[in-house]
Amino acid sequence: MAAASASAGEQYNYDIVRKFTVMALVWGVLGMLAGVYIASELAWPILNLDNPALTFGRLRPVHTTLVIFGFGGSALFATSYYVVQRTCQTRLFSDGLANFTFWGWQLSVGLAAISYMAGYTQAREYAEMVWPIDLLIAVTWVAYLVVYVVTLTRRSQPHIYVANWFFIAFILATALLHIFNNMAVPVSFFSLESYSLHAGVQDAMTQWWYGHNAVGFFLTAAFLGMMYYFVPKQAGRPVYSYRLSIIHFWALIFLYMWVGGHHLHWTALPDWTSTLAATFSILLLLPSWGGMINGIMTLSGAWDKLRTDPVIRFMVVSLSFYGMSTFEGPLMSLKSVNALSHYTDWTIGHVHSGALGWVAMVSFGSLYHLVPRLWETTMYSVRAIYLHFWLATIGIVLYISAMWVSGIGQGLMLRAFDEYGNLAYNFIETVSFLHKPYVIRAFGGALFVTGIIIMGWNVVMTIRKGRREAAEIEARIAAKMAAAS
Amino acid sequence: MSEETQKQAVQTTGHAWDGDLQEFNNPLPRWWLWGFYATVVFAVIYWVLYPAWPVGKGYTTGAFNDIEFTTADGREVVSHWNTRALFYKEMEEARTLQKPYLDQLKAASYREIAVDRDKSAFAYSMAKVLFADNCAACHQAGGAGIIGQYPNLADDSWLWGGTYARIEETIRKGRHGFMPDFADSLTPQQIDDVATYVLSLSGIEVDAEQAARGKAIFTGPEGGCFACHTREGTGMAALGSANLTDSIWTIADVNGAEDLAGKKAAVRAVIANGVKREMPAWENRLNDTEIRILTFYVHQLGGGQ
Repeated sequence: MAAASASAGEQYNYDIVRKFTVMALVWGVLGMLAGVYIASELAWPILNLDNPALTFGRLRPVHTTLVIFGFGGSALFATSYYVVQRTCQTRLFSDGLANFTFWGWQLSVGLAAISYMAGYTQAREYAEMVWPIDLLIAVTWVAYLVVYVVTLTRRSQPHIYVANWFFIAFILATALLHIFNNMAVPVSFFSLESYSLHAGVQDAMTQWWYGHNAVGFFLTAAFLGMMYYFVPKQAGRPVYSYRLSIIHFWALIFLYMWVGGHHLHWTALPDWTSTLAATFSILLLLPSWGGMINGIMTLSGAWDKLRTDPVIRFMVVSLSFYGMSTFEGPLMSLKSVNALSHYTDWTIGHVHSGALGWVAMVSFGSLYHLVPRLWETTMYSVRAIYLHFWLATIGIVLYISAMWVSGIGQGLMLRAFDEYGNLAYNFIETVSFLHKPYVIRAFGGALFVTGIIIMGWNVVMTIRKGRREAAEIEARIAAKMAAAS
Repeated sequence: MSEETQKQAVQTTGHAWDGDLQEFNNPLPRWWLWGFYATVVFAVIYWVLYPAWPVGKGYTTGAFNDIEFTTADGREVVSHWNTRALFYKEMEEARTLQKPYLDQLKAASYREIAVDRDKSAFAYSMAKVLFADNCAACHQAGGAGIIGQYPNLADDSWLWGGTYARIEETIRKGRHGFMPDFADSLTPQQIDDVATYVLSLSGIEVDAEQAARGKAIFTGPEGGCFACHTREGTGMAALGSANLTDSIWTIADVNGAEDLAGKKAAVRAVIANGVKREMPAWENRLNDTEIRILTFYVHQLGGGQ
């Protein structure tokens, strides 16, 4: 066993996992800094600096793209490549193709950010990339699918571990979503602009079918895959229920595809479509909780580790936020609740309780598990992990509380009538009401970004420590060899 | 611990991955399963009540959930639940509250609105949002305008007259503010002289001799300023020409300038470049009552006449 883990670095392709891990942190720091900056712009508009490239409209997709696709995407590449190798006990298929997915993905994210700041966008949320970048992503993604599936077929284990189901569902669905949502005709061969193939409300529906499944498959299913490997590994306990994992997997996969329409309540979308989206969102509540139950109950025999293991803390908090935001989501998808919440910051708060609380926290936990194993050492500073944990947790709580106040407050103000049947508030009054919550939100975000910067420093120091230790061992072996000869 | 391990060891699926990764095979938690069934029941009830499933070219419209409302032109409608009907119904509720006041306001004169507490309270409540939605973009939230661009409605100086009738006319028809530019017809020295005289009209201490030269241009054929601003410089509401004697400046930011040179420069710029600004007509965008309510509001904003 000891010999097997010592040679794991050669048996498996860890190089690709290391590269994606480092880039996840790089994009994470940049993307979250962008987020804090635009949050500050909303609180203090002067930060636009009268520079078009720095305005909220252009930096916002930079923020979302860097954190979702740069940070989240790279973390998923890293963990899925690691998990598929470890659970199939086989080396990743084709080093060359795997490297292609790395460079293709990093290039796509980098080009996207630059093009947004230059003012090029397709104006589809979370799919703002112009068509040449879309093509690059499509090719990269198909290569990812090939690497992953071929590796699975070469497994030396009879059964496919549950984490891999989720990763495969995520890869397949994302390919489908990306391609159908980005079907467009370029204005000309040398133009970055294009016309969508769909029109009107069908275009909107296609966009939100994509948009919500980006949440469902990219930010949920895939991170559940991450959870299903790293939580039992870190806790050193078996997964709570195989049966539950099957049921909630298929329920989740089936139901998510229907719910995109709840982003278009009270619009030109037909009422029947929006009803179906609302009800399928409600049906999605318990299947989502299935993942949370399986995670929390897996940890349930290891509660003592909460006191001693900061990585477990990240995982418990992430599962709790997952449970909370998958309760909040169905609630907001009901037409009557949505009438209040839509177009307000409540939505922003909800997204961030999922994105910071669930996605980022489970990624941090998994990467803290992964990094020492990839560089064959221990984390440089455990106290820094605790510090990161508290900064992140307090940051999220401030963020989402501020957004509840501003979102629900603005929603109530916008629909309030006075005793004469006149609107009680004009629009600008609702805007000035938002200022204080915006300041608190920016502060919460700053705490969160401080946390990931500390993590980045900790990981850099860990890598240097790992290299130093490896060099020492090599020197010792060389000395022994010399002495022996 | 050993007892628990033994109990659970029986339950694992027997597979192991990556050394120690295993799975128990616990049954689905009861509350989870019943919770899921409950959401199914909820969904079915929702489908019964609301438009839900596409059938052929139509869709199931939902039952027991009709919406009754009266349209703005008085038609009574009963419809299956739909977003638009609900919007009409909520608007109708607001309209019902507004109606008695609007009916009173329609018949009342401006003076009657001003002295009746109920009527004026309603007018303020409605005008606040009307003004914010339609006027504040230029005249600013409090009506103070922006010097050099949009007139201040909150002071007691009225370019086009501050009576109810004049204000209503301004809103209804819009206004074209125009003053020709004198850059070609007067020399820079003459423009400076006129600027000096204009400043003196508001009691600013200037060189008396230069002001006298400016006055000659102002009141004589060379400048012809008096034609619009009158010989006394008090302006004419009929033309929208400014009163230059009241220390209120709408275009040249005289009060904002630090010293006499700055004040002069501000006035010179207006004389040299002229003025060309426009307020759009609102009679086709707002209805009569809305215009009357805005008139009442703007009148009280800045000491109406």
